[in-house]
Amino acid sequence: MTPAHFAFSSAFMLGLAGLAFHRTHFISALLCLEGLMLSLFIALSLWTLQFDSMNSASMPMILLAFSACEAGTGLALLVATTRTHSTNRLKNLNLLQC
Amino acid sequence: MAPPIYSALIISLGLGTTMTFASTHWYLAWMGIEINTLAIIPLMSQNHTPRATEATTKYFFAQATASATLLFASISNAFLTGEWDILQTPNTLTSSLITLALAMKIGLAPLHSWMPEVMQGLSLLIGLILSTWQKLAPLYLIYQIQPTNSNIFITLGLLSIIVGGWGGFNQVQLRKILAYSSIAHLGWMILILSFSPPLALLTILIYLMMTFSLFSSFMLTRTTHINSLATTWAKIPILTISTPLVLLSLGGLPPLTGFMPKWLILQELTKQDLAPIATLAALSSLFSLYFYLRLSYAMTLTMPPNNPAGTLPWRLNTRHNTTMMSLTTTSTICLLPVTPAIMALLPF
Repeated sequence: MTPAHFAFSSAFMLGLAGLAFHRTHFISALLCLEGLMLSLFIALSLWTLQFDSMNSASMPMILLAFSACEAGTGLALLVATTRTHSTNRLKNLNLLQC
Repeated sequence: MAPPIYSALIISLGLGTTMTFASTHWYLAWMGIEINTLAIIPLMSQNHTPRATEATTKYFFAQATASATLLFASISNAFLTGEWDILQTPNTLTSSLITLALAMKIGLAPLHSWMPEVMQGLSLLIGLILSTWQKLAPLYLIYQIQPTNSNIFITLGLLSIIVGGWGGFNQVQLRKILAYSSIAHLGWMILILSFSPPLALLTILIYLMMTFSLFSSFMLTRTTHINSLATTWAKIPILTISTPLVLLSLGGLPPLTGFMPKWLILQELTKQDLAPIATLAALSSLFSLYFYLRLSYAMTLTMPPNNPAGTLPWRLNTRHNTTMMSLTTTSTICLLPVTPAIMALLPF
């Protein structure tokens, strides 16, 4: 495992742990999701730079586009949740329990 | 929802799955899956009720995490082996991580916890799209990985069959029952995937047919609870005959179609010297059969406490388009004798 691979892997794992163990707010989960996407962006840019392959030069940009769409969707859901549940605390999402 | 937006979303749903089906590069496959997720989110929350919004939020988090993990595993695989081709994914740690990410996408145990709550918050039509169309793209990718090490698939499969049965035990909400039934059936599918991929294909096709039929029956009478199932005799009496047969087919009883995949899977597992696993799978699917039987009982074998003849409902003139429902219900009940023909058609 090269240092670059280790770097983005650990960044991804930290973001994933943050997403899995977030405790209070919705927005912190969305931030961790963005952190995941950022680590993947760095990984794809490193791929292009290290192997000098112009074939894959568009991959980071397309990832950025999809990540922006996902972030927009997440924020829209944050607003929708605040409108219907009156808060963005995750403990309030308890309407659908058994 | 405005027709242009609605059609754009439906077309995007089709585009996403088609992109994943047409791709040999992991990146394009990931893009198709992301398009699918993004397209169904507005459809899920279109009526802006609190339950729908909460279901959409939980679905979004589960799917976004799984997509990111899928892309991370593909990039790691590329860094380690230099290959982006889907069919060339060798049997390493990254291949297992890809499998786990795709398992979270389709809701296999132990990554299934989002599934019942999400299904509960959605309308029956969107729940149907979630159970059938949204599973196609990840399943196609899992089908193409074609591993030689079967441990992770057997673990996912057995856990899903047990959790799908046990979780649905105490449920009275029909959408949660359908979610647990989906978990159990996908467990059967992934159990056999590493031994005989054509059988997994057969299992998923028959499951899609059966669940379409069941969802359509519930959509006709607009029932979401066992209590309202019990009034089906007054609304559409033929459903009290066909739906229990569909439910028993989902439970895997001969001579109905649902027995076919279970039978062939048990036979294949026995051929691979895995008889204890086959026994455990067969016994665990008895849990699912319990709640299917309870639904059939509530629908067909219960009598209302009041005078039935004196309580005719309003027979409003509604237009039910039952073409697809009748096709899938007939296939769900009558296809078992055609098993040799189906087996000859699949590439064994």
